[in-house]
Amino acid sequence: MSVLQIHHLAKRFDTVLAVDDLTFSVSSGEIFGFLGGNGAGKTTTLRMVLDIIRPTSGTIKVLGAAPDRRATSAIGFLPEERGLYSGMSAIDTIVYFGRLKGLREPLARSRGMELLERFDLADRAKSQIGDMSKGMAQKVQLATALINEPELLMLDEPFSGLDPVNQGLLENEILRAARRGAAVIFSTHVMQHAERLCDRLLLLRRGRKRFEGTITEARAHLPATLIAITKTDLSALPGVMSAVAASAEGVEGEEWREWSLTLAPGTDPGAVLEHCSSQGIALRRWDHRQASLHDVFVQLVGPEEVKP
Amino acid sequence: MNSANILLVARREMAQILKMRSFWLTLLILPVALALGPLLGETLADTDPTRVTVVDRSGAGAANALEARFTADETRYLLRELSRYAQRYDLQGADRAALWTQRDRWYTPQDLAAFEASGGIEAALAKIETVRPDGVPRFEIPNHDYRFAPPPPALLSAQGDAFAAAARGLFADDPDDTNPEIIVIIPEAYPADGKIGIYSADDVRGSFISTLQEVLTADLRTRLLAEDGVTGERATLVQTIAPTITIDSPPPGGGAREVLLVRSAVPIALSYILMMSLILSGSWMLQGSVEERSNKLIESLLACISPEELMYGKLLGGLVVGLMMLSVWVGCAGVAAYATQGAIADMIRPALEPISSPGIIVAITFFFLAGYIMVSAIFVAIGSMADSMSEAQGFMMPVLFAILLPITFLLQAVIAGNDGIMVQIFTWVPLWTPFAVLARLGSGIEAWELVGSGVVLGLAIVVELVLVGRLFRASLLATGQKPTLAKVMQRLRRTPDAG
Repeated sequence: MSVLQIHHLAKRFDTVLAVDDLTFSVSSGEIFGFLGGNGAGKTTTLRMVLDIIRPTSGTIKVLGAAPDRRATSAIGFLPEERGLYSGMSAIDTIVYFGRLKGLREPLARSRGMELLERFDLADRAKSQIGDMSKGMAQKVQLATALINEPELLMLDEPFSGLDPVNQGLLENEILRAARRGAAVIFSTHVMQHAERLCDRLLLLRRGRKRFEGTITEARAHLPATLIAITKTDLSALPGVMSAVAASAEGVEGEEWREWSLTLAPGTDPGAVLEHCSSQGIALRRWDHRQASLHDVFVQLVGPEEVKP
Repeated sequence: MNSANILLVARREMAQILKMRSFWLTLLILPVALALGPLLGETLADTDPTRVTVVDRSGAGAANALEARFTADETRYLLRELSRYAQRYDLQGADRAALWTQRDRWYTPQDLAAFEASGGIEAALAKIETVRPDGVPRFEIPNHDYRFAPPPPALLSAQGDAFAAAARGLFADDPDDTNPEIIVIIPEAYPADGKIGIYSADDVRGSFISTLQEVLTADLRTRLLAEDGVTGERATLVQTIAPTITIDSPPPGGGAREVLLVRSAVPIALSYILMMSLILSGSWMLQGSVEERSNKLIESLLACISPEELMYGKLLGGLVVGLMMLSVWVGCAGVAAYATQGAIADMIRPALEPISSPGIIVAITFFFLAGYIMVSAIFVAIGSMADSMSEAQGFMMPVLFAILLPITFLLQAVIAGNDGIMVQIFTWVPLWTPFAVLARLGSGIEAWELVGSGVVLGLAIVVELVLVGRLFRASLLATGQKPTLAKVMQRLRRTPDAG
């Protein structure tokens, strides 16, 4: 079931077209990566889904209806820029946001305590946010997004500023929410997290969609490369787009050469290997190197958008 | 809009303000001042009469004339106060023929003599006591300003510098507070030598010197006329003749100048309190808004509630805190009035008269609340645009000037009984309407003005909330950009972009 449907969405700020004809959907239980560099339109899109800003054109449906504040109880949101009331205690902060999302106080309090226990912060429940470390405050903020057990969980650059331990905790929470049946959408420009978590992803560049699909499909977007050591000239193999030969280091005999082959998009490396085998081509090495998501990202949105 | 969300935001705002030390300090300042004021007043007030001695070396009787004049002035004051007391509490039945049951008038020397001949203040109070109902306070006899005493022996024979030294010695060495505090020396050659000396332990009141001068000038002129052949009796008559003036002023609590001040006391105080509590709760609201922006809280909040719910919640929270503060202050004032009774209670009773009708209470409530919303909305708008308190203060200064300066002039004008064009203008300009109407309730405001200005104020608040709502919504997420006037105007005009 589609929890979020976006259709031909556009948003213009004066002369800047921040989001341009964007269409995608996210289903229940799916983890959806929303990738793009700075200024790609990720935050603007999420704000439109939250009804914080309104689209110039196009439609958004959250659980089948146009977004408005009545959908608050079904949405969890962690903004990129995080902050809480420094004078409020951790548990009161979580309860406050829970109540704004329509929970009754006793339920909000019990769920808040469960979350704090899960985040190893139960003993700091009554501590003021101002007295907590930045990492602790970020976990409290994550709890405010999860308090209502949302059907749509949106996380805007959730990993930024988190130490490795808390990054692991956040990954677990994302997986837990998806297992519960929530549609999880998170924006990031750090590819490793997307590679580990996402069922599907969307690549955005300057407001326009450059790619949408699974990680495998994304990788298939770039040609695969093969490294082979053989005596035969491999440049004429079917499906090979280019071939570069070099002397094979560490291999005795001058006739053995190392070939670096770039396959035509869509070519199955297994089929090339099978062809070599059927032709009796002797191989001393056969490595298949698949494009990383980072490579795909660089290819599709440009190297200037990449953040290591 | 979801009213539950508005209440939640209001509750959080209130909780945040109630946690501030500055709130409790401010809340307690007025009660503490009310408690300490009477105590300090009683402690610091100098109720003892100033001791005066006149060394009259001339033997011309000037000393007696002086003492008689001061005594007459004090008796005149006593009669005036007694007369007002009798009118205020409707006690004329004690003796309808007595001077002090008649309307205010200028008491002639003959009147004063007649008063003393009839037994003076003691006899008057005895008569009053026969008709004084329960609950009416007793008349408090005013303190004497001066008490005349014969010169101490040390002064009688001393001359020149020795006299001055003796006078200073008396001032310096006075462990029992019995020595004179003012010494007047009339020279032996008076009236030929008209140099009168005054030695004083402290500053001499201007009124004392002018009375002294009047008495001695009259004496000198009388003597001069006598030298020119005018009989002593005629000369004295020339000096003392004066028209008999009757004063027809309403009794206390009924109209005109003194009455205006008494009746205006509570409404003007309300106007001041509105101004004070607005500035205080407004600045607390501002702190809350700035914290939300500087702590990057806004986006999290707007994911749950609409900008309008946030804005109205803030306004409601600030309003409740302001009313809470007002209730505590009014309650403390009531307790203070009840506890002190006497003069303060006497003043408060007529002062409460203009606000005792249900219609006026409704009007006060409306203008107080409307004033709160009118000004608080401006503070909330400023809070939505500022990333820091210093930036907010930059916006606040011109706004505070625009509100406070005119109101200061307005209140002074109302206190002075001025109902001119300036007061009229203030009544109809919505930013100042609540203050002007509240202040004018005591001095009298036409019903059509009350209703008309209320309607204009109500409409202005609706327009203001629409505009501030747009500004609030457009400014919330625009962090890092200092809004120029042009940008602010653009945000005010633009139809909602955000949800």
